[in-house]
Amino acid sequence: MPKPTKGPRLGGGPAHERLMLANLAAALFTHKSIKTTETKAKRLQPVAERFVTFAKKGDLHARRRVLASIGDKTVVHELFTVIAPQVAEREGGYTRITKLGFRKGDNAPMVQIELVLEPVVAKPKSAKKAAAAAAAEAPVEAPAEAVAPAEETVEVVEAEATEAEATEAPAEEKAAE
Amino acid sequence: MAVPKRKMSRSNTRARRSQWKAEVPNLVKTVENGKVTYSLPHRAKVVTDSAGTELFMEYKGRKVADV
Repeated sequence: MPKPTKGPRLGGGPAHERLMLANLAAALFTHKSIKTTETKAKRLQPVAERFVTFAKKGDLHARRRVLASIGDKTVVHELFTVIAPQVAEREGGYTRITKLGFRKGDNAPMVQIELVLEPVVAKPKSAKKAAAAAAAEAPVEAPAEAVAPAEETVEVVEAEATEAEATEAPAEEKAAE
Repeated sequence: MAVPKRKMSRSNTRARRSQWKAEVPNLVKTVENGKVTYSLPHRAKVVTDSAGTELFMEYKGRKVADV
């Protein structure tokens, strides 16, 4: 659920802001990536991600709730049939904002907001968490597997060593003879 | 229409203007091909070919936008 915005609305009033954000979201879903000002993009991000969440649910009720904001049926159809399956594996964070620079004319900071449609890549665990996970698993597995084979290997190595000495010793004796 | 009653003194004008100060931007230093460049942090950069033609904007190895 997007956090309610404090302070003045974008545009002329609340209705203007709702329309503007809905239109920006529609443009984002049509083009997958749009260039806008940083303020608008930051306001758009929670709105657009909420639409994607509805699209992932995919039932008629969700579709009607999105259609209440975005009037264009073709855009909503695209969102539910094309975009939603692509982000099915992703747990939130469906959009990405990249800062570009400043607009000529009013020096407004411009950004590119895009849908993150790449397949999800599992993040390698940080060293701390990996160590903690290993420590949690270790007491269960280590006594059973790690210790017993180690003792066996030591015995085997000793046995081999004695055999090797045994074989070397006669060879040396033969050489002496 | 409301109009100023008195002429603004030279001293007051200059005192107001002296309040505006330029800020030093925080830049990050990077070395690209042995050349040191300073740029604004967390901002996409323009990729150019050898002739200096601007191709596209890139951020963290990802193509972001057209120039």
